[in-house]
Amino acid sequence: MIDQDKKYLNTIRHELITIVEPNIYYCYQCGKCTAGCPLSDVYEYQPNEVIRLIQLNKIASILNANSVYLCASCEICSSRCPQEVDIAAVMNYLRIKSWHYKQFKLSSIANFYGIFLRIVKIFGRSFEPLLILSLNLLNKNFFNDFDIAVKILKKRKIRLMPEFIKKRNEVSKIVKKYL
Amino acid sequence: MEKLVNTKQKDDSTIDQDKLKFAYYPGCSLNSTAIDFNISVKNLFKALNIHFEEIRDWNCCGTTPAHNVSKEMPIALSARNLFLAKNMGLEEIICPCVSCYCKLSKASILINNKEIKSESEIKTRKEIFEIFQDMGFKTEEEFNFKVYSLVELLYKNKELIRQKFIENKNKNSINSETSTIESEILKDLKPVCYYGCVLLRTEGVTKFDNMENPTSMEEILDTVGIKSRHFRFKTECCGAILSLTHKNIVLKLSKEILDAALEAGANSIVVCCPLCQQNLDLRQSQINKHYKSKYNIPVYYISQILGLAMGLSYKDVMIDRLFVEPKFLKK
Repeated sequence: MIDQDKKYLNTIRHELITIVEPNIYYCYQCGKCTAGCPLSDVYEYQPNEVIRLIQLNKIASILNANSVYLCASCEICSSRCPQEVDIAAVMNYLRIKSWHYKQFKLSSIANFYGIFLRIVKIFGRSFEPLLILSLNLLNKNFFNDFDIAVKILKKRKIRLMPEFIKKRNEVSKIVKKYL
Repeated sequence: MEKLVNTKQKDDSTIDQDKLKFAYYPGCSLNSTAIDFNISVKNLFKALNIHFEEIRDWNCCGTTPAHNVSKEMPIALSARNLFLAKNMGLEEIICPCVSCYCKLSKASILINNKEIKSESEIKTRKEIFEIFQDMGFKTEEEFNFKVYSLVELLYKNKELIRQKFIENKNKNSINSETSTIESEILKDLKPVCYYGCVLLRTEGVTKFDNMENPTSMEEILDTVGIKSRHFRFKTECCGAILSLTHKNIVLKLSKEILDAALEAGANSIVVCCPLCQQNLDLRQSQINKHYKSKYNIPVYYISQILGLAMGLSYKDVMIDRLFVEPKFLKK
């Protein structure tokens, strides 16, 4: 469960309505965002409901639902909003905040972000075999995508050895600063 | 319709190209699972006389994970690549990967001196410049980066593509009318163009085409005589990297795209994004298994198709590395 500490939730809301998206009160619930959203059938709260909940100061409810974490940032909602509410930016901001407060609800996705960025920190570039292996181990889904791994190997479409960039320290400094 | 004449113009239009050199940023995908995209783009550029040089010691742009954990991290990671290009004396950058393109574009907008910036952007810019000053990069210079996606660059070079295509056609017609694997693939092609979700939609990034009904890919293919089918799923989302954690969502969304392609009367899909290609091509077998379906739709990169039209062999553009191969290869 999300820490119900009001102060942290209030900070999030304050930043949302002042810096991230001051237009948020212009939303009049037309539902265009939800109509276009490719993930609306798996969301616990629809995009228009997320905006309404922010207006009603119910940030904790949003952070407890899966919507913010599943959002694939396709940005169809923002691009079609008649009131120019940048819904995708709101979702993105909420993801960033829940990551920083260690409240990221869907652990499989959090694991993916964590492993991916650590790999970039070490090598300077992504390295898929290590990413997939570690992700399957952490998510306890050991044979996930085994079928396509075989296909990829057959077609020689993956690097089996990682590529180290020369100035890895520069990249790891950046990742370390913001992770 | 274009007539197959007028190869004289060739010299006039290649002048600009000869002067111009691009910094090439492949990104991690093109270096590994999308190696076919990488090689086909490079060979296509060579065929078109577009000069490019890979950014030396480039790093990952951070893609989805970076922008979901921090606002600044993707900008800082991409900024390093831009500064490296600047060190090579290049400010025009090509990113074939759509995700990298969005990240580098956003970073370039923040770094460029010209663009008007908000207070928070000025703060972020200063903070990021300080990191790079510590690393010994020159940040005092005038920056004027322009990041191109592959589609935008090809679209701007439509006339060049047309001329090279006609040249190649005239050259080959002297030989013979024998049918090769390449000509069979092109002759049989009835594609739909799939742009993916973020190419034209990302906030703050240059929009070179209509967001809801883009036509640039269709127009590019038209210059080499390929007629695309009308497609209502052009800019729908394939589920992107949810494939790693919530596979069933991706299988469903990608299946809908394959369905729509068939409904449009197409026998193939032409794409410009390595992740879309992976979800539609590599995962087509998983879709078939999950839905007990029998899709068998090749998903080509636009660079592969144009490469074939320029007279490159199917190995030059790595068509044999596709997971769903065109039927002509299977003999």
